[in-house]
Amino acid sequence: MKVRQTLLAYALLLPGLGLILVFMAFVLGMAISQSLGFFNFSGESGFSLRFWETMLADHQLWRSFWYSLRVATLSAILSVLLAYPLALWLRKPFAWSGTISALLKAPLLVHGLVAAFLYINFISFQGFLNLALVSTGLIERPLRMQNDANGIGVIFLQVWKQMPFALLLLTGAVQAIGDDILDAARDLGANAWQRFRKVVVPLTLRAMQGAIILIFIGAAGDFSFQVVAGPTNVNSLSQFMYRIQETSVDGWNSAAVVAVLLMATALVGSVLLAGAVQLLSRLGRA
Amino acid sequence: MKGHWFNRVLIGLLLAVCFTWLVIPFALAMLWSLVDPNHPWSYPEILPPALSLGRWIEVWTTTSLPQTLVNSYALAPSVAICALLLATPTAYAFGRLDFPGKGPAQILTLVPLVMPGFVVAIFFSSLLFSLGFYSRFAGILIGHTVMFLPFAIRILTVSFALVRQDLIDAARDMGASPWAVFRAAYLPVLRPGILAALIVVFILSIEEFALAFIVGAPDFTTVPTILYSYLGYNFIRPNAAVVSLILVVPNVLLMLLLERLLKGANPASITGKG
Repeated sequence: MKVRQTLLAYALLLPGLGLILVFMAFVLGMAISQSLGFFNFSGESGFSLRFWETMLADHQLWRSFWYSLRVATLSAILSVLLAYPLALWLRKPFAWSGTISALLKAPLLVHGLVAAFLYINFISFQGFLNLALVSTGLIERPLRMQNDANGIGVIFLQVWKQMPFALLLLTGAVQAIGDDILDAARDLGANAWQRFRKVVVPLTLRAMQGAIILIFIGAAGDFSFQVVAGPTNVNSLSQFMYRIQETSVDGWNSAAVVAVLLMATALVGSVLLAGAVQLLSRLGRA
Repeated sequence: MKGHWFNRVLIGLLLAVCFTWLVIPFALAMLWSLVDPNHPWSYPEILPPALSLGRWIEVWTTTSLPQTLVNSYALAPSVAICALLLATPTAYAFGRLDFPGKGPAQILTLVPLVMPGFVVAIFFSSLLFSLGFYSRFAGILIGHTVMFLPFAIRILTVSFALVRQDLIDAARDMGASPWAVFRAAYLPVLRPGILAALIVVFILSIEEFALAFIVGAPDFTTVPTILYSYLGYNFIRPNAAVVSLILVVPNVLLMLLLERLLKGANPASITGKG
């Protein structure tokens, strides 16, 4: 009976979980095998490390790699740093707190491309910001702020879009902390900073790590923010992968190398960052 | 009290920030979409010289926007229904059965959430290509369904877990057929979850860009891909404003509806007891 029920459960998993796993395995398998020279659409197929060798020697790939890594790390850290104080502030309901949390979470409803459009519309040569600065006499001529070379626009957009997500996760975690434990810490003479370090952070660590991992992965694989608002002299990894697939002779194979590298970056980077946060929290508790 | 005063300043500050980063950008988008095509809005005019619906009409009649809307709004409900049907058995297993490996299995359903969208898009299209599968609609339908299954599974799992065993047993004891048991014990609790799953997947599918862009290229357009074509290298500001509003407004309304639905999903209010 027990065995039958277990078998039934596994059978029920097939159309949902089974489909997900098969699909992802095929997509992943396709990327890995194309990076190694299999499944070519033209010419010979066969095992070869040629694509890895040429791509890894490509200066542009490494520029993209470091750029994406920097944007992803900064976006994840900034989002969480901004979300923490807000989550703590909104822990207890007060007048207007509902409105404020709804307003803060509104960017979750705005499509990434729309956000990017609103942003460049705001900062462009003939945008609101420039007009406001010129008409108040702060500057004489409009500034050129679009597609800034340091990727500040992209990081701003990432934080705009992802901070509410971190806030959502952290609010839940922070609200789950009982008053009694915070009161106890207060009675023992802990000030606000100590309470944050020794009570709040350890108890909300899992939620924070979840937020960091998901934001990091999203930002590392970003395409649309980068194309619309990012620097024109460097590509993000996704943009580079797309471009090289379209333009180079061994497009699919080279793009596959970038894809494998991008997945590794997203996975390893996010796990390392989450680990670093855990270490920091342990140091903060001491 | 000092804390009270401090809180008020914070509230005011935050409302001001939200105003600059939500209200002004959307107001500007609205203005740009209403700029009269015959009277361009150029520097250094603070406000557009003339407003009209001309741009909306022009975008509607000269671009592929109508076909795009048909594509998007045919695709999204199909994705939602497919995802619902495929997610239900798995959600039932997660919500109502105990079996070895349940925890890891639940974590594994989240795999699509941690895969970079463009990697999935490009190599799914390469997979379709090597299989000789050329229907763009069906390709995007399959891709979206799988990518958004985790959301449907998660929502329905919670709904299934809320169904009360005593109600099921009571219905069975009174000799109800399986269908009657489902109608009496399951359906009332599942209904908000089913609707929520449909709406969430619908919105996600309307908004998905990477897969629709890569698999649909060059001729199958959805709302995000047509918006993308007005951004990037050839930035056509008024058109982008029009399409942005078309993309955002319906989804925000749907999300508000969803929020209401999920609030009503309290099991006590459905079963009539605590």
